[in-house]
Amino acid sequence: MESDSSESYMKNGFVELSHISLRPLELSDIDDFMVWVSDPKVARFCPWESYTNKEDGINYIKTKVPQHPWFRAICVNNRPVGATSVRPNSGNDMCRAELGYVLASKYWGKGIATQAVKIVTKTIFDEWPHLERLEAVVDVENVASQRVLEKAGFKREGVLGKYFIMKGSTKDMVVFSLLSTDPKT
Amino acid sequence: MEEELQKLTINEGKGGNESDIELSSDISLRLLDLSDIDDFMVWASDEKVTRFCSFDSYTSKEDGINYIKNTVSRHPWYRAICVNNRPVGSISVTANSGNDKCRGELGYVLAADYWGKGIATKAVKMVANTIFDEWPHLERLEALVVVDNAGSQRVLEKAGFKREAVLRKYLILKGTTRDCVIFSLLSTDPRN
Repeated sequence: MESDSSESYMKNGFVELSHISLRPLELSDIDDFMVWVSDPKVARFCPWESYTNKEDGINYIKTKVPQHPWFRAICVNNRPVGATSVRPNSGNDMCRAELGYVLASKYWGKGIATQAVKIVTKTIFDEWPHLERLEAVVDVENVASQRVLEKAGFKREGVLGKYFIMKGSTKDMVVFSLLSTDPKT
Repeated sequence: MEEELQKLTINEGKGGNESDIELSSDISLRLLDLSDIDDFMVWASDEKVTRFCSFDSYTSKEDGINYIKNTVSRHPWYRAICVNNRPVGSISVTANSGNDKCRGELGYVLAADYWGKGIATKAVKMVANTIFDEWPHLERLEALVVVDNAGSQRVLEKAGFKREAVLRKYLILKGTTRDCVIFSLLSTDPRN
C-alpha cells in the first residue's frame, strides 16, 4: 500500500513532473479532500475557513464543485493533493478568466502547484477559444504563491490596494496575468 | 467593469484650468430624472463620447427613456453631472458584495462640448468626498480606463487616484480586446 501512495514519490523531497496530473474531483476523493480543506495553514490565504467536519466536505464536492465551470483535482500518482479552478466571465469581460489553486501543505515547495498551473495554461486557451487573458490575484503576503505564478510564466502587473476581504480584513493583492499570446513555459 | 458607463476623453491640455474656475463652481451632482431625457440624449447619442464606452451611442429617444427608467433608477449610486443644474453628463459607482464589498467601481461620461474644462475632474472629486461616508464599508474606489484614453487617465490623476497597473487584454470594447489602466483611491488616501 505504501509503495502506491504519493509519499513514496517524495522520498528525496521531489515529485516527478510526469506524476502530476489533473482530473475531476469525485465523492470518493473525500478523505484526500479533507486533508487540505481542514488545514488552517492551507486556508490562511483562502477566502474560506478550514473545514471542521466531513459533512461540509461531502456537501462541497456534491453541490459546489459541479457548479464550477472548470474545476480539477491536482493529483500526484492519481491521488488528489489539491485543486485548481478557472472562473470565466461573460459579455465584455469574457476575454478574461480567473485562476485559483490550493495545495495540501505537505506537498508545498516541490513544484507541484507550478506544474499544475502550467498544465492549466496549456489547455484552457484551447478549451475556451474566446479567452485571451488568464489572471490571478494573490495576497501580497503570500510570497510562495506569487512564485508559483512567476515560475509558470505569468506577468506581475501590479498591486491593487485594499482589493479583497479575507478573514475579516481588507488585503492588498498582487495581480498576475498570462495571455493566450504569451509564451508557455 | 462598469456595465453601462465608461470613461471619456478629456482634453485637459487645452488652456489652463484657472480660466475655468468660474465654470467649475457651478458644477453639481443630482439625481437624473426622466425630464432630463433631452439633455441625456446629447451625450448618449454622440459617437465621440461613446468611443470609449461599453455601450454604442443611442439612436432612439425610446432607448434613452428606457435606460433612465430601468437602469438608472436601479443603480446603487448614479448622479447627473450638472452645470447650472442642467445635466451635461453622469457619474456613478457600482457596489460589490461579499468579500468584494470593500471596493466600488467609478464610471463617468461627459458631453463633448464640456470637455477640457475640468468638469469631470471636479465631479470625480465630489464623489470621492462623499462616497466613503455614504458607504462606510467601502475602502477602495477603483476605475478602469482603456490605455488609449489618455484624457480620462488625467482626470483620475488630477482627482488624486493612484495608477496601479496596466491590465493586459482586460476587456472587450467595440469588438476588440483592450489593455486597461487600473486606478484606485482608498478611503485613507488624502482628498484634494
